[in-house]
Amino acid sequence: MKRPLAVAGDSNMNKKLKQEEEEMSKEAEAVLLDDNLLTEVLKHVDDGRTLASAACVSKQWKRTAHDDQLWELICTKHYNRTPLQLRTVVLALGGFRRLYSSYLWPLLKPSSSSSSSPPTVSAWPCLPPAPAAVPTRSKARWGKDEVNLSLSLLSIKYFEKMSFNNRGK
Amino acid sequence: MERERDRGKAETAAGGTAAGKMKSWEEWQPQADGGMDELFAVLGYKVKSSDMAAVANKLDQLEMAMVTTMEDGISHLSTDTIHYNPSDLSGWVESLLTELSSASNFDVLPQQIGVRGESSSNLISFSNDKPIQKNRKVIYDYDLRAIPGGAICSSGNEEENPNHEPDIGIKRHRFSPGTEFLDNTSLAAARPVVLVDSQETGVRLVHTLMACAEAVQRDNMKLADALVKHVGILAVSQVGPMRKVATYFAEALARRIYKIYPHDSLESSYSDVLQMHFYESCPYLKFAHFTANQAILEAFAGANRVHVIDFSLKQGMQWPALMQALALRPGGPPEFRLTGIEPPQPDNTDALLLQQVGWKLAQLAETVGVEFKFRGFVSKSLVDLDASVMDIKPDNVEAVAVNSVFEFHRLLARPGGINKVLNSIKAMNPKIVTIVEQEANHNGIVFLDRFNESLHYYSTMFDSLESSGSNQPNSEDFVMTEVYLGRQICNVVACEGPDRVERHETLSQWRGRMNSAGFDPVPLGSNAFKQASMLLALFAGGDGYRVEENDGSLMLGWHTRPLIATSAWQLKPAE
Repeated sequence: MKRPLAVAGDSNMNKKLKQEEEEMSKEAEAVLLDDNLLTEVLKHVDDGRTLASAACVSKQWKRTAHDDQLWELICTKHYNRTPLQLRTVVLALGGFRRLYSSYLWPLLKPSSSSSSSPPTVSAWPCLPPAPAAVPTRSKARWGKDEVNLSLSLLSIKYFEKMSFNNRGK
Repeated sequence: MERERDRGKAETAAGGTAAGKMKSWEEWQPQADGGMDELFAVLGYKVKSSDMAAVANKLDQLEMAMVTTMEDGISHLSTDTIHYNPSDLSGWVESLLTELSSASNFDVLPQQIGVRGESSSNLISFSNDKPIQKNRKVIYDYDLRAIPGGAICSSGNEEENPNHEPDIGIKRHRFSPGTEFLDNTSLAAARPVVLVDSQETGVRLVHTLMACAEAVQRDNMKLADALVKHVGILAVSQVGPMRKVATYFAEALARRIYKIYPHDSLESSYSDVLQMHFYESCPYLKFAHFTANQAILEAFAGANRVHVIDFSLKQGMQWPALMQALALRPGGPPEFRLTGIEPPQPDNTDALLLQQVGWKLAQLAETVGVEFKFRGFVSKSLVDLDASVMDIKPDNVEAVAVNSVFEFHRLLARPGGINKVLNSIKAMNPKIVTIVEQEANHNGIVFLDRFNESLHYYSTMFDSLESSGSNQPNSEDFVMTEVYLGRQICNVVACEGPDRVERHETLSQWRGRMNSAGFDPVPLGSNAFKQASMLLALFAGGDGYRVEENDGSLMLGWHTRPLIATSAWQLKPAE
């Protein structure tokens, strides 16, 4: 939105234009800086990779994009009727973002993953695991089956990591 | 490049004629001959591009041979070697190798030249056998020609030249006229065993293993003893899965020959831990759990109280996923009761371990919102248990599932064991019985058959481990998994009678047993198949694994060989 620099006219006109410009950019900033607004916008993201990329923009964006509710929307987009207990269970086991990044995402990578990296958690939670020089695109169609498998793996991992707080008698 | 330096040394030290030759080589025009490698051609060496890999391999071996041979090996090469035809690089290297070996001392034991080489992991194709040279004098305790039987014998086409190449198509002895430094006839006369070609030694290794097993079968322990030592030496020259498999089988054979049986307590110690590593490193056990759980879940549909009896609880890794699935099923979770059975541990920690697993599962159940009860039994054998201790509730109150992963085959070690247990299971009135077993027949009456079968089976198993472990080959999981499999090998080969518990049988054999015991098969649905296939995609080497559906049961295998099978059963309807 660049104004032409050489504006013929008096300095008054110039000042007015500059003021308008400043106001507009302030508004733009206001939109971007407002968490609620940002969340609303991000709710329309239906692809995990996009959401993860959004989390890499800035600290504020990361804070907002890490909201588990957003990830819940992505993980459950294929459910007609979400099981009532799903949220309780998943939150107890680590949350939807972890479900997606640790288990759903490796499942959705193209099948050339057999030659590439092991399916572990990527170092950066917001970034998908380093692709092997091939632009990774999520599987075009995925559904409840993938989510179910991811849930199983999530629960197994949770179980493995459990430690004994009070040893038995 | 070191090799070029060495070659250079050998060539320049060879004398004026060679140096003269070298000059004329440089004047050679690089020939744009069909298939000749251009870079080499620039240096004056004619090497076919198709032969490059083999030539590189040979150069590797030559380098190793030069390093490990005696001190004057190199000087021997540098003074006596006259290379006349530089274009025949592969032939030259080959001649150096054979020269080295003929110059090495004739010890009592065959001279082992440490060589690297690709392991031929394709053990299945035994038909590619290489004829053992009849006119080769083996300085060894027992003449290998003395072995009867089909294991080692010439397939008919005998070659005059020892150590001839497998099908790589390199023509040897393409020496230009005037070559005199190798006398073919003298080569044929007296040669010690030289193991320089790893592909050939690979095949020889398998043959020796089988010959040894045959000797054991015929109770010819002296011959078996010699052969097993030979296997040990051959195995060292291999790399990768073949080496490991051969080492384990050789050890098991040695135990059988010398009658040093593994101590029982040693066998069962840490078996839990080892199975955990097996669980982590490859998909077989995960596949088993997922498919069995799917069958159980489907059988439990509509039940408000469910009871699972697990014949080998181990670390309880199968149950978190089932619990999670029950928690999320439409209509809410049922009350979930789990009875776990474990064998006693030598250090008496069994009860404590059971309790810990139960406690962990209870914690998880509380987390996901499932009512949970746990009961553990310590029992030396499943035969000792029966339905009365299980506190079985009537059919309309509670649905029962019986789950057995790798436990049924152990019952075959004692006569009548399996039938007693199957009757107990019937008394428990289960809605579904899920069975996971190794897909192999390691319970044949003839030792040799068992040996051959298990050699196939575990070679495939180790192969699959190798590819899925390419990321972290030395991680603890893989090493421990190998120990886990090694124990099984030891049991199949070395033990007999009630001690031999790894009595694997194939799915068709189990089907027969279950049928005659009064069970009907329950087909595993497409959900199980889908889950299994998706699971495999997560494993490196995923495209080597195959899920197969076999008449309602699911099998997971490596390439064409199924290795593990899950099946589900229900009681035949009362008439």
